[in-house]
Amino acid sequence: MLDVVIRLISLLVVFHIGCILMSKAFLEQVGKTVLLMGNEAVARGAVEAGISFASAYPGTPSTEIVETLARYANVLGIHVEWSTNEKVAFEAAYGAAMSGVRALTCMKHVGLNVAADPFMSSAYTGVRGGFVIVTADDVGMWSSQNEQDNRWYGLHAFIPVFEPYSPAEAKELTKEIFDFSEKFEHPVILRTTTRISHARGPVQLGKLRKPVWGEFTKNAERWVVVPAHARKLRLKLLKRWSKIEEAVNNFPFNRVENPGSKKVIIACGITYGHVVDVLREMDKINDVTLLKLSSTVPVPRKLVVKAVEDAEEVLVVEELEPIVEDKVKAILQEEGMPAKVHGKDMVPRAGELTLNKVADFLVKFLNVSKQSVPWLGTHQEVSIEVPPRPPTLCPGCPHRATFFALKKAVSKLKMKPVYLGDIGCYTLGVNPPYRVQDTCIEMGGSIGAANGLAVTTKQPMIAIIGDSTFFHAGIPPLINAVYNNTPFLTIILDNRTTAMTGHQPHPGTGMTASGEPAKIIRPENIARSLGVEYIDVVNPFKLDEAAEKIAEALKFVEEKRKPAVIVSSRKCALLVISDARRKNIKIPVYRVNLEKCTACTRCYNVFACPAIQVLEDGKAYIDPMLCAGCGDCAQVCPVQAIEPTIKPGKEWKELWW
Amino acid sequence: MNDRYKNVLAVGVGGQGLITFGRVLAEAAILNGVKVLTAEVHGMAQRGGSVVTHIRLGDVESPLIPLNGAHVIVSMELLEAARYINYANKETILILNKRLIRPNIPGVKMPKMDEIIEKIKSIGLKTVILEADKLAEEAGSYVSANMVMLGALLGSKILDGFVKLENIEKVISKMPEPWREINIKALKLGYSSYSQDSY
Repeated sequence: MLDVVIRLISLLVVFHIGCILMSKAFLEQVGKTVLLMGNEAVARGAVEAGISFASAYPGTPSTEIVETLARYANVLGIHVEWSTNEKVAFEAAYGAAMSGVRALTCMKHVGLNVAADPFMSSAYTGVRGGFVIVTADDVGMWSSQNEQDNRWYGLHAFIPVFEPYSPAEAKELTKEIFDFSEKFEHPVILRTTTRISHARGPVQLGKLRKPVWGEFTKNAERWVVVPAHARKLRLKLLKRWSKIEEAVNNFPFNRVENPGSKKVIIACGITYGHVVDVLREMDKINDVTLLKLSSTVPVPRKLVVKAVEDAEEVLVVEELEPIVEDKVKAILQEEGMPAKVHGKDMVPRAGELTLNKVADFLVKFLNVSKQSVPWLGTHQEVSIEVPPRPPTLCPGCPHRATFFALKKAVSKLKMKPVYLGDIGCYTLGVNPPYRVQDTCIEMGGSIGAANGLAVTTKQPMIAIIGDSTFFHAGIPPLINAVYNNTPFLTIILDNRTTAMTGHQPHPGTGMTASGEPAKIIRPENIARSLGVEYIDVVNPFKLDEAAEKIAEALKFVEEKRKPAVIVSSRKCALLVISDARRKNIKIPVYRVNLEKCTACTRCYNVFACPAIQVLEDGKAYIDPMLCAGCGDCAQVCPVQAIEPTIKPGKEWKELWW
Repeated sequence: MNDRYKNVLAVGVGGQGLITFGRVLAEAAILNGVKVLTAEVHGMAQRGGSVVTHIRLGDVESPLIPLNGAHVIVSMELLEAARYINYANKETILILNKRLIRPNIPGVKMPKMDEIIEKIKSIGLKTVILEADKLAEEAGSYVSANMVMLGALLGSKILDGFVKLENIEKVISKMPEPWREINIKALKLGYSSYSQDSY
């Protein structure tokens, strides 16, 4: 039995071993070359630049920057926090930079949409200490709802954008642009993409610079953006922008390689590595001029002119939108240069670039044979149909239990509700067999959209939102529902953590980013204080009781035509397993009594826990390596064929709170 | 292909230790004084989904392996081996764990293990199949199956000149006990079983 327990928990142990490896590398001695993830490299660059403050809301692929800094906040003597959302994170770091210290704020690309309001103003006022805004764009949408190109934001706000091409450069660039920002007293964007954020490579560690205290100097004309001040600030901003446009011509991370060719390739950010590798493969690296661009907004005019001086054809290689391409075309037209500029006519606009895609268009641009690249051509295939493997809710996930109870409640009431979904692990509820996410728009959009749909339709509306997402952007729309008396049910999935991004604490967790104890803010208390009249807290692992309570709440909404809130409260199973290991508590894994099992398929096809595997005769088998001991499947089984291998004790049950 | 670099594609199911696999290999390469770049997948893509880690050792600037461009594919699971076979070319070596994990899809149609193995072998690439989970159990924990696969990769000699086994051991020796001992055992079991299990 002990063996099973060790096996069960060891997955998480490995995760922690990983953290230990990572942590040692991050603070190794100066001068040493260590393996860092792109996000760790950005964090290291920021502490080498001497930041005093860092803030973020977790979001893939940006999360590990502030997660790494939080781990060393106390050692380094800096303040690092998880803020409630990106707007607050931005404002906090912006405030710190107003005081003259260096500050960092990080977010995924869509997080900048949330922070866009203070972002725009920050360009007007500028800052005193270096202020770097990291936008980790998710080109290819590995874990996001869109692949927006946040370089537009730089153009929109007059904030320069810098893009590294490797983890090593990410570290150096971060450090450099803190100086740049401070020199111009202006915020700057570091734009990474998933293949930088989650790439690893060798990084040479530099000296750490000590954080300092700031002091706010009163100056209403600068910091109070009333119209009279803002008009003057706008003129100052435009002047600063001209200086920045000039400065990027000499930015040390841009360079022209092999000047003087008839064909010029302008490689932006990450694409530099792809282009170099393909050119080497073709043995063409010495036949073209390469402009490596790390400052993409604004485009360095003089450098472009220098690079394309002798060119007949130019190819701008950038992912997503033709931001550099359009500017290069404008520059050449203004300068009266005849070179033909290619870009999105050859380079795909959707999805991330791969070496195969880059090779495809370089073969065309350079007019060389496909045979010059050994890996262009047909692919190997296996002649079987490989079923897809979408991500899934983990064994023991309380969301699965809530979904099951919810469907039970709805079917009892013979109701056909619309499920308004949100951003988090529970978005996976869109998949069969659950299908409890009819919409998913953005953070907080579940309760937000319910405010309209509950008014314009006669269908029952159920908003489903996680606790972290509720704190992030769910509270204003719930206030709206109380204020306007909008009838819908909100189910808050309270698992005490920001699970999808890797378990960062939030206002309901009781711990800060750097591990200090914190006040626990309960979602039901927020709902109560807003004036929601029907609030109930349920334990989703008591299936029948939870279904009953959800049904009551739905009846309340239908009869009283008012908003109601259910808080479904059980901890993330991954945290429970980790706690069990720490406290040496045995996990009561479940097993199937094959004599009772009738192969009805309910547990693996309707409940769909990934720990439940299928035997050849269709009967169920619970993999003891995967079972998290939640016991929900035992309640789902119609013939009571599923039983615990040991009796779940009090200690075990308490872990789930 | 040339000897400037080696492309190792590691595939499997989220939770099977692919990120650790890539990290240990990459750290060992750095101890060897060899440049390395890796690319991995986090977040939504990791929740029990299909996972792929690119590891490129040597003189490269991009972290991504092209389709048709893997020198070796290490697969922790057979369906995933079949899924990512388009990264193989005629000279690619396949090192596969004999394990099949059912995707969590209601009513999913599963091919049989023997059928998958047979179809993969019929492509005609050098294919080595290990029971990594079993070997890891022998070493002390099924969790170390990823280290068994790493051992097998080193046993293939394909990374000779890029990564030494002793540097992998050095990286593992930074881990706390009992994992240090279990992982080193798993690594060695994998290393020696590569030559024993032929295709």
